[in-house]
Amino acid sequence: MMPKKILFSLFLAGVITYPEISFANDSPELEELRALVQELNQKVKVLERKGELAEEDSAKAKKETPVVKASSNGFSFSSADGQNEIKFRGIVQADHRNYFDGANDVRGRTNNRAGSLNPATGFHDAEDSSLLRRVRPTIEGKVAGKYGFRFTPDFGNGNATVVDAYVEAYLAPEFNIRAGKFKSFVGLERLQSAADTKFIERSYVTNAILPNRDLGFSVYGDVLGKKLNYAVGIVNGVADGGNIATGTEFNGEREYTARLFTTPFLDQANALSGLGFGLGATYTDFTGERNLDFTNTSAADATRNGLPSYVTEGQNTFFRYGSAAVADGKRFRISPQAYYYFGPFGVLAEYARVDQNVSLLTTATGNDSTIVRAGTNKKLSHDAWEIAASYLLTGEDASFKGVKPNRDFDLDKGGWGAWELVARYSEINLDSDTFKNQAGQYAAEGTAITSAYADLTKSAKSAKSWVAGVNWYLNQNAKISLNYAHTSFDGGALAKGLPQATNNNASGSNVRDREDENALLARFQVAF
Amino acid sequence: MKKTLLTLALFAAAQLASQQALAKEVTLLNVSYDPTRELYVDYNAVFSKYWQGKTGDTVKVSQSHGGSGKQARAVIDGLQADVATLALAYDVDQLSEKGKLIPKDWQKRLPNNSAPYTSTIVFLVRKGNPKHIKDWDDIVKPGVSVITPNPKTSGGARWNYLAALAYALKQNNGDEAKAKEFVGKLYKNVPVLDSGARGATTTFVERGIGDVLLAWENEAFLAQKELGAGKVEIVVPSLSILAEPPVTVVDKFAKKHNNEAVAKAYLDYLYSDEAQDIIGKNFYRPVSETAAKKYEAQFPKLNLVKIDETFGGWQKAQKTHFADGGIFDQIYQK
Repeated sequence: MMPKKILFSLFLAGVITYPEISFANDSPELEELRALVQELNQKVKVLERKGELAEEDSAKAKKETPVVKASSNGFSFSSADGQNEIKFRGIVQADHRNYFDGANDVRGRTNNRAGSLNPATGFHDAEDSSLLRRVRPTIEGKVAGKYGFRFTPDFGNGNATVVDAYVEAYLAPEFNIRAGKFKSFVGLERLQSAADTKFIERSYVTNAILPNRDLGFSVYGDVLGKKLNYAVGIVNGVADGGNIATGTEFNGEREYTARLFTTPFLDQANALSGLGFGLGATYTDFTGERNLDFTNTSAADATRNGLPSYVTEGQNTFFRYGSAAVADGKRFRISPQAYYYFGPFGVLAEYARVDQNVSLLTTATGNDSTIVRAGTNKKLSHDAWEIAASYLLTGEDASFKGVKPNRDFDLDKGGWGAWELVARYSEINLDSDTFKNQAGQYAAEGTAITSAYADLTKSAKSAKSWVAGVNWYLNQNAKISLNYAHTSFDGGALAKGLPQATNNNASGSNVRDREDENALLARFQVAF
Repeated sequence: MKKTLLTLALFAAAQLASQQALAKEVTLLNVSYDPTRELYVDYNAVFSKYWQGKTGDTVKVSQSHGGSGKQARAVIDGLQADVATLALAYDVDQLSEKGKLIPKDWQKRLPNNSAPYTSTIVFLVRKGNPKHIKDWDDIVKPGVSVITPNPKTSGGARWNYLAALAYALKQNNGDEAKAKEFVGKLYKNVPVLDSGARGATTTFVERGIGDVLLAWENEAFLAQKELGAGKVEIVVPSLSILAEPPVTVVDKFAKKHNNEAVAKAYLDYLYSDEAQDIIGKNFYRPVSETAAKKYEAQFPKLNLVKIDETFGGWQKAQKTHFADGGIFDQIYQK
């Protein structure tokens, strides 16, 4: 074997070479290779730099490119900085009402108007029906980061109405202004979105006593680290449960609304963090400001003469003021309210009382101007309360807002959505004086000093309901609900066997209780 | 005597106290082009001191830099500049024409057509000048990689383009077709277009791309001394262009911010001896005779053409060369 040193010397001298590296000693080829490497190096660097510049351009473009979103939370497009935004949302509720027992609104009407008479009970049966309860597309948005708007029409129930139409200024978390037509900041259950309510229909507290939508403006905000929410407003004022039209006004006086609601343990991770309670109230006095020329009342039956009518869980009217009764004077509502959510369990409780001054007119409403009959003004006090509980069987957390299933309903993947059991008791009690005249005797409704404000043979004095049901949340947007509702009444119907035209008498002996209502209510809802 | 001194001291103290009580903090936004960062950092410190001494007010000047054309558009689109210090008069004209932010005769409001400093375009090459680049002819040769920003967005890039074109016109006795062909060859050698002059400097110095950077003279000096010390060197071509970067108060926004007086003073003071000295130190050519003489040796002597004389002014040059569908678009798309 040749010594290593000799081999190395021969290698250096070029005697022994490796063919594959022979070019390394070839100067022109080396220069060529260097040039090639440099050229490739430049090309790579140029590509990298172009990539950098493209990224910079892309980052800049991203800051200016509008953001389009389509998700289960709705559809929206907004400016890149989020200061300007339009959202499209909507809710459709397809309902079915099936009555096992129960009467429709008879009010002494003839068989032709009130439907088929059940000879066994003597009542005109409530009619089963399918309906579109709510069909509400919504456009909402904001401009310049601080100013928002919402427009929601409703094509449900066979009508086309404007539900919400308002503008807002978000000046600070503690100070916002809303003006237009919107839900009055008063009732707890009313402020819960129609898509999120646990029951197919809201309770008497909400539907019968407290205001629905009104026209005016409110100032609202969150203080104390969002633990206290306040709202005060000045609005036109609507009858109990009323939903004001977009431009009408019963009287010239404003109604004042106020609400305080606190969630004192909001920022704590304990069993009380889901507790919230508060108080809402409204006040108005339109003595001397009333407009009594009711030349057209056909479109506002529920709020005729500034007074309400009340409906059952099955949405059948069980109480109406007589046509000569008119809201006349002060109206004060107060409503303590609370909710509590812990894990899958939730409970909501609310009470409402209304003190309403009423009078009788000298003639029934019609095309003639009317005046108040002296000596008929009286303060009537009605109240209602509810307690509702819910429990999510599938483990989701309950909340005031909607339910997002842990697993969406999907036959292929095996998800069954979220299932929730719900139960509620609620009742409404009307002032006995509603059905009595100035002498304190039961009487028929009418225009005379001896008349009552409502007739107990046509309108019930109280209604007590319990509801049990189940909600199936197929996903965040789709829900199927089934409620069984039982309602019993005190008064509200003509004693069996008496002619339909018969009214109440001083002893109240013409009265019997309205037939219990047993209704199965079903809903399929899609909301986004 | 003691009583008089005491009275004077009390008076002085009262004056000082009243001045301090009335003093306020003023914020000014200077929207400028790419390579002026260092200049205005130095100048802002000097001006703040001057203004505080004069009025008692504290001035905090915010700077915004980018391609001159882009910066002008940003101001038109709502970037609320109190003053604009851009690369060329056409971009400032846009603030008047499109933005209605300043009067049409803005250029007459300050000396030297509102240009407190000038500059020109030179070459920056790799150390040792391996491609032997000496003049414009050398950078249009095949295989020479040229770095220059996009004239659509950068003021410096437009000066680069016009300097090359001026040379080509001179070499070809005013033959525009041949001059256009020359510039076309130059842009064929450009592998990447940055949006501003500082980006182009980054491409050349930091990323190591290209054989030659067409640069503002001040940017080239800065690169040689700081950004790419020991790695690059300056080559001065036989002919270049006199760049006159103008300044203006953006009247509408300055008024809105109640900054009219301080914005005007900010620009006026650029012509002071103190500011002109800073301008020279930052490798811009001062316009005052004193400072120009002081820094005379720093700047190479070369033949400089003027845009008004060679190209009929910025409005015409912009329309002919840089507008959509103009000559730059034609040659770059080839």
